[in-house]
Amino acid sequence: MDATVNPAVRQGQGIFSRYRRVDTITKLTVIAATVIALIYILLPIFWMLKSSFQTAAEIKQLPPKWIPDQIRLDSYQDINLLIPIWRYIFNSIYVSAAAALLATLIGTSAAYVLSRFRFPGMTLILVTILVTQLIPPITRVFPLYALIQDAGLLNTYTGLILSYAGFSLPFSILLLKGYFESSCPPEIEEAALVDGCSYISTFLRIILPISLPGLAAVTIFTFLNAWNDFLWASLLLNSSEMKTIQVGIGDLTAEGGGTRYVSMFMAACVLATVPALIMFIFVQRWLVSGLTSGSVK
Amino acid sequence: MSTISVRNVTKKYGAVTAIPDLSLEVTKGEFIVLVGPSGCGKSTLLRMLAGLESITEGEVAIDGEVVNNMMPRQRNIAMVFQSYALYPHMTVAGNMGFSLKLDGADKAEVAERVNEVAKILALDSLLDRKPAQLSGGQRQRVAMGRSIVRDPSVFLFDEPLSNLDAKLRVQMRAEIKSLHNRLGTTIVYVTHDQIEAMTMADRIVVMNAGTIEQVGAPLDLYDQPANRFVAEFLGSPSMNLIDGTISDSGTVVLGSGLELPLGASLRAGAEVTLGIRPEYISLSDTGGMKVRCMVSVIEPTGPATILVVEMGDEKVTIEVTGRVAHRVGDFIDIWMAKEHCHLFDTSSGIRLDQ
Ligand SMILES: Nc1ncnc2c1ncn2[C@@H]1O[C@H](COP(=O)(O)OP(=O)(O)OP(=O)(O)O)[C@@H](O)[C@H]1O
Ligand SMILES: [Mg+2]
Repeated sequence: MDATVNPAVRQGQGIFSRYRRVDTITKLTVIAATVIALIYILLPIFWMLKSSFQTAAEIKQLPPKWIPDQIRLDSYQDINLLIPIWRYIFNSIYVSAAAALLATLIGTSAAYVLSRFRFPGMTLILVTILVTQLIPPITRVFPLYALIQDAGLLNTYTGLILSYAGFSLPFSILLLKGYFESSCPPEIEEAALVDGCSYISTFLRIILPISLPGLAAVTIFTFLNAWNDFLWASLLLNSSEMKTIQVGIGDLTAEGGGTRYVSMFMAACVLATVPALIMFIFVQRWLVSGLTSGSVK
Repeated sequence: MSTISVRNVTKKYGAVTAIPDLSLEVTKGEFIVLVGPSGCGKSTLLRMLAGLESITEGEVAIDGEVVNNMMPRQRNIAMVFQSYALYPHMTVAGNMGFSLKLDGADKAEVAERVNEVAKILALDSLLDRKPAQLSGGQRQRVAMGRSIVRDPSVFLFDEPLSNLDAKLRVQMRAEIKSLHNRLGTTIVYVTHDQIEAMTMADRIVVMNAGTIEQVGAPLDLYDQPANRFVAEFLGSPSMNLIDGTISDSGTVVLGSGLELPLGASLRAGAEVTLGIRPEYISLSDTGGMKVRCMVSVIEPTGPATILVVEMGDEKVTIEVTGRVAHRVGDFIDIWMAKEHCHLFDTSSGIRLDQ
């Protein structure tokens, strides 16, 4: 009996240990790849950060000086002498947040209707939304500029906010429609109605909390797109105190940002990153997936 | 006193008429099962009772009050959905207490009631979990708990067991039935499973294409089906149906030429369908009509054996208790119990022998 059992066990151990070794190799490979990817992504950011603490001379040293001798915050003060950085950051926050709010509001309503009701022309609407995503964005520069001009919204925040919201709506609607269909099926609403909710409280107490990850995704998406935009902000706004931070930094490049004022330029870049980062950290906790599984079936 | 009155209700979806004209009275405390093939309008009727679907014409009254224009929450009903529809962002306790909370009950009151119901359904150890952390059977229980907590005047169940495996289904069937005995609340229960209907119902409503074919106690429908549809729908294996005509001498002549001494009172030449349930055909002489046939299929199920035999061109299913010694291809005699034979009008399907 021993003779028949033992080889199998030994073989089993052999396989097991071989898998274990493969497992370690896999682990190491994954870790190595992750580290390389992280360095690739983070190196420019680190360069930006450390440069903002250095003097222009120190930045240009060869071989490069990776760790600053001392943390100098001078450039963070001096940047104000070059551009009204806080004003620009505020402008950007205002425009991006407003666009995010608007896109989320409109996107939610549109997606909700498209996910719940069947009506004539619905397929046409969906196809149109999809088709807008196929046209290269650069082609809308001229028509949209003309449109905003005709509407008298040139050099207003409203014009910019409407544009940003409009750019993100197709994607937002498609994403939220899928979300409402898969994560918040109609039966859940019906259960809430039977349980004693009105339409409004069903929305506030059931649909909204369940859909938060979807809404968060749309909000972040719109906010970051607006925050990072340079093209439209420079096209549609021209009075100097209305500029967004990206345009402000762009101006700086032309005025010695790459040479004389390089550490201030880097400081401005760091400051331009922070609000987006805060926004992301704040909203990402609602992005957790799997929150909704288990409601049906 | 009737808890639910459905009076001449019509439901149209645009040009499609799902329910042409339906009336039904449900007595207080009754366990009513709506049964019928897929698409016959069971869910539609239930959802109209719940207020989730508008009523095109006619009237629905609950506890004597016409509810046509009332919101679901004003109707004092609770509903269990096929997909359970639990709130994924709330715990089990949160799900169960939600309706009471909306009613403005204070925290302690809600907790007490939730605990009470959780005990009945053996959910007490799961109260802090989210629906995603439950098994299918547990979710089903939570869905029931959510409706019980409210102590409504009517429970509406839309195929609550169809997502469970066979064993759990049998267990939950018994639990729902005992729950009904305990609470005594009126239940309207939709299913397309005729065994669920037979075992649970006080009265069964057999529906077909938006209309009611027959309403009655399970065994009454089983023994005295009003028509061929009901006869065929209830019972498994289902009733044997064989077409034939009435001869001049008042016997039934089947397609294969076989002549049976039935239907003496019927008009000669009438087209009829003979119906007999598999368990009323016997392999030993019990005094019925004797017919010789060939065995073509034998299916032992354990307690019983199901045989399919060929009687001329017709295939006839027989269910006998215990085992049989026959083999496929054997010629055997069968005896059909005359008192359990039904005759249906072939074109209208109406039962003629009542
Ligand atoms: N929103 C709708 N629009 C158009 N027709 C509908 C709609 N809902 C249901 N119907 C039709 O109404 C009829 C009854 O549907 P219902 O859902 O009540 O069937 P059911 O008896 O519950 O079937 P099942 O056993 O498959 O659940 C069907 O023919 C269906 O096609
Ligand atoms: Mg249904």
